[in-house]
Amino acid sequence: MGSKELATLVHVSYIQSLGKATDDLAYHLTAHLRLNAIYWGLMALCVMKHKDALDRGEMIEFVMSCWDDEAGGFGAHPDHDAHIVPTLSAIQILHILDAPDQVDVPRIVSYVISLQNSSGSFSGDQFGETDTRFTYCAVSILSLLGKLDTLDEQKTIGYLRKCRNFDGGFGNTEGAESHAAQVFVCVATLAILDRLDEVDQDMLGWWLAERQLPNGGLNGRPEKLEDVCYSFWVLSSLSILKRVHWIDANSLISFILSAQESMASDLEGGGIADRPGDTADVFHTVFGAAGLSLLGYPDLDDLDPVYCMPSRLIESLGLKKDWVALGRRTL
Amino acid sequence: MQRLLVESLDTHQEYVPYGERPEWQDLTPIQQDEGSLAPLAPIMYGDEYKDSTNYFRAIVQKGEYSERVLEITEHIIRQNPSHYSVWQYRYDTLLAIKADLIAELELMDEIATTFLKTYQVWHHRRLLITHLRAPRPELMFIANALQADKKNYHTWAYRQWILAEFNEDELWDGELPFVEQMLSDDLRNNSAWHHRFFVVWESGVRAGEEDRETLVKREIAFTKTKIARAPNNASAWNYLRGVLERTSSPFSVLEAFVTPYAQPPSPEDESEWVSDDEASSTKSPTAKSSDLAETADDAVLDLENPIPSARAELPCPQAIEFLADIREQSAQNNGTTARSDIDEAIKLYASLATKYDTMRERYWEFRQREASKLIPAIA
Repeated sequence: MGSKELATLVHVSYIQSLGKATDDLAYHLTAHLRLNAIYWGLMALCVMKHKDALDRGEMIEFVMSCWDDEAGGFGAHPDHDAHIVPTLSAIQILHILDAPDQVDVPRIVSYVISLQNSSGSFSGDQFGETDTRFTYCAVSILSLLGKLDTLDEQKTIGYLRKCRNFDGGFGNTEGAESHAAQVFVCVATLAILDRLDEVDQDMLGWWLAERQLPNGGLNGRPEKLEDVCYSFWVLSSLSILKRVHWIDANSLISFILSAQESMASDLEGGGIADRPGDTADVFHTVFGAAGLSLLGYPDLDDLDPVYCMPSRLIESLGLKKDWVALGRRTL
Repeated sequence: MQRLLVESLDTHQEYVPYGERPEWQDLTPIQQDEGSLAPLAPIMYGDEYKDSTNYFRAIVQKGEYSERVLEITEHIIRQNPSHYSVWQYRYDTLLAIKADLIAELELMDEIATTFLKTYQVWHHRRLLITHLRAPRPELMFIANALQADKKNYHTWAYRQWILAEFNEDELWDGELPFVEQMLSDDLRNNSAWHHRFFVVWESGVRAGEEDRETLVKREIAFTKTKIARAPNNASAWNYLRGVLERTSSPFSVLEAFVTPYAQPPSPEDESEWVSDDEASSTKSPTAKSSDLAETADDAVLDLENPIPSARAELPCPQAIEFLADIREQSAQNNGTTARSDIDEAIKLYASLATKYDTMRERYWEFRQREASKLIPAIA
């Protein structure tokens, strides 16, 4: 591709355009991800230092319209039932927009706690699916709300321990295969709870470093294809384990940059795709940008790898953990 | 991430809006609340999806649980299988009206196959099986589903759940042959290697496998033959390590096996191995490209320690690391040769850092430093 730089301004207008295509069917078929998508877009803008490119008031109003008053959590869209993933997105968005007081903290806390099962796992909603992702959402929400004291830590950690595999990684449920995204949610949860002693850090660090392929990109499991989103899952885990330098930064930066839509052709699409030549989406845009930030790419804002939120914000909340990203380069 | 199955909208011959169907006349459709993002332009998106979700909202508002809920939720799921609120309402309805769950499962056989990557289909299935308590046909269903997508994370996790949740000997009995079939289809399938570890080591001791030493030997022998076929297969090496670590077996038991995989091809070696390769190429004349080139279909001379084919890409970084680990363990256990063992380990790590796995140079430098820390301990 030969692309050497991040096309920040193109990506900013790409994110701005996403909210405008509301007469597309695709827009409606992704309603169940709407709040998540707003968080991804906003976070990508924060990393690229264009936080104000989306209208703050509109976003807050939309977030609050997703409140499910019956359940005490947020759905992904005004008509949708509460779910723990969009509930985390809502709280992240409101914190980033400096409007955390909008939410009913006691109700959210009791909603989150109600989703914990006797095994220590968390369900995503009352439908009951369990996944270590939901454990991360629960712990991150409680931490951001300053209510970690309401969590049964023993039970929570006990379940994560059961999801740990022989290769040092973690799966989404007990018995399931190690997967880089599940490694992130488990490692970040343990980091929030100050329990990284539960992890064999050298072994897991190696498993994560092994995810890098000859073209510089990262995969999520052995013998799978590279994908830009693993730039976040793998790098954030390695940052938390203070081993991000085990990755070859230059080749990964080139890989992420080559997956920029604007670079794939002369189209002014913008955004980052899963891999070079594919269509961009907001999910890969934020995780590509987040990966670049952790690799010290010039002129990006620092990202907190534990919470996937602006580093300064997490620091101001007094929640910063002891992670290490690569130093910011200068152009 | 989310696959949009827009094409499913076109499967209906002629779409009759709910408002024109007599049995839906009693409901007033509810438009989607767009929150603050309400578009100024008139909504143009798929009428069918809009229509069905408008009527679904009316059903939910009414709190109705009935047969027609199954109809409309199936209609929406076929258009958008990730709509979790619709799945939830469907499940509540099934229970509320005491629907035939076996019929539901049959419907799901088809829907799961169509929307394999959507995790809701697997969770819905889990709920149904939890009620029906009939796990045995599931293993065959999953095996078929895996044929369409051999590494599907949710499908494998569902299989592990079935086995662990019901934990019946009859269920476990077929698992090893199943894994072997999956691995003979694709010996780089990490999901299958993981499943093997789950079945053999993480789910209790089964009849006939009480002798763990024999089991270790069986697993090592199995993995060796797979590594011989594709030496640069991280999944197989990870499995081998996992077995040794789980059973606290010394890495040194594998020294004879690992050594040829850790050696760079020298001109001498090549001529030595070419004879072996010739045997294989006559058997497998179509072998080509780097992946197939690693496949040694040839007769194995040392049955216990199958060697790589001449066309294998050597050395394998995993084999070099393995040898270095053997040296480190030996240094810790054996005072007299300890120093030379450590020096040898450091040399092996250095070869990885500078030549054979330069992408992970910093990791191998770390391993060199860790190895040199052993020196004072043995001095």
